[in-house]
Amino acid sequence: MLTSALQVIVDGILLGLVYAVAALGLSLVLGIMGVINVAHSAFIMLGQFFALEMLERLHLDPVMSCLLAIPVFFGAGALVYRLIITRMERTEQNQGLVAMFGLMVLIENVGTILWTTNTRVITVPYSYYQMHLGALTIPGVRVVVGLLALLLIGAFWLFLTHTLTGRAIRGMAQNRDAAVAVGIRVPRLSMMMFALGIASAGAAGVIIAMVFPFAPQTQIEWLSWAFLVVILGGFGRVENTLVAALLTGLVQTIATALLPFDYVYLLLYVALATVLVARREGLRGVMRRTI
Amino acid sequence: MTGSDLRIRDLAAGYFPGHLVLHGVNLTAASGRVTVILGPNGAGKSTLLRSVAGYVTAEAGQIWAGDAEITRLPAFAHIEQGIGFLPQGRSTFPDLTVAENIELGGWIFRSDRRRLRAALDRVFARYPVLAEMRDRPAGSLSGGQQRTVEIARLLMADPGIMLIDEPSVGLAPGIARQVYRELKAFRDEGRTILLVDQDVRAAIAIADYVYVLSSGRNDVEGDRSSFEGDLGAMVHRWLGV
Repeated sequence: MLTSALQVIVDGILLGLVYAVAALGLSLVLGIMGVINVAHSAFIMLGQFFALEMLERLHLDPVMSCLLAIPVFFGAGALVYRLIITRMERTEQNQGLVAMFGLMVLIENVGTILWTTNTRVITVPYSYYQMHLGALTIPGVRVVVGLLALLLIGAFWLFLTHTLTGRAIRGMAQNRDAAVAVGIRVPRLSMMMFALGIASAGAAGVIIAMVFPFAPQTQIEWLSWAFLVVILGGFGRVENTLVAALLTGLVQTIATALLPFDYVYLLLYVALATVLVARREGLRGVMRRTI
Repeated sequence: MTGSDLRIRDLAAGYFPGHLVLHGVNLTAASGRVTVILGPNGAGKSTLLRSVAGYVTAEAGQIWAGDAEITRLPAFAHIEQGIGFLPQGRSTFPDLTVAENIELGGWIFRSDRRRLRAALDRVFARYPVLAEMRDRPAGSLSGGQQRTVEIARLLMADPGIMLIDEPSVGLAPGIARQVYRELKAFRDEGRTILLVDQDVRAAIAIADYVYVLSSGRNDVEGDRSSFEGDLGAMVHRWLGV
């Protein structure tokens, strides 16, 4: 009984880390810049296929692909910022939302043309390796995924809290005029923050591809999970995203162990509704801000 | 840092194209002196300051800081030219600590960590009370303490010209007096101070020279002695009573 409970908790934590990494960029871009980037999951999908292509064409292990994805997707994020976000700065928030939705649809369709709608999986030598800790059995690949997720989340937390540039980004989110007065180039740091959000989405895609099957059209499921975590934990803080994601993972695995499958999502969305009723603000606080 | 003269010539500016708030304002803020801008609500005092600071783009006219023309200088680049701006209202970064707030004032030294550290030490030595609360979030401080943090942050880059917008708004009278004492100290250090304030009596008390704006235009001007007489009559005239 105790072993089963421990197994469920470990599984929940590992699943929560995957959700945390999926939601990280969405939370930061939303909280710091006020941009509701609904195309976030499309970049997660691109990250998944990036891992697949790297593995099939260059025989590159996903761990290496994850590191490589960060600069590649950072560049893609900077491009999206220059091409789309800067044009939305003076418009209503709704137009920015529509633009990002259009980008999501575009990326998904391009993904379908390039990779079809077939579901893919990534298999690496350690995919079937099982770690045994006492009576607990943990898939080795999940441990690798958990460590990569922690590394990515930790790197973002360290950057935002322990570097001057990270603190400038946080300051910019809190008082734009004051940030400008001290000499911060707000558009440049905004581009960096948005690009980092996309970089985290790309890296998250690689990490997720190691443990979940994927196809271009399944990206929307990750948008749901990411939004669930962001709404539960609030946005703009790495630590809040991590805690909300771990709770989501734990609730999901515990509910799966105790309840019929159909009730698991019901439980999660009741929790979400409760949080929204209790906190009231939800996404409206962000909707009032301009991009 | 010693300040240089700030000269404004025929400045026309507003928040929307074609809708001017300032209609050809002229002003000189001399180095090492406190120049105060007064006027009724809507006279364009804060707009003038924000135009000088680069937040409002001039549609016509020129702004000079010493020998450098700064008319179209972006707002973020002013501090590198030695021009510091203290905006109206609370301008701390509330979730950052006091130390982090002040440190960001030295953003332009970010590639020179030794200089940044020296500036931070200098500012904490000047305001030891802030050093004691360095790890507290700025948003948890009182209004007066936050204003001190903002002034300390402004000093990090050691600006020669300071643009100060309504520094006493929302502060208790005792705290406001401390702020004015600081402004006098900045003047005595040779900095150029351009001050906008609703507290006419307090502003004139520290002014070396006063400009009065009315509907975005120069109205009257003169040194402090010209305004020390019947302040009540001047305010009544603004109010139209």
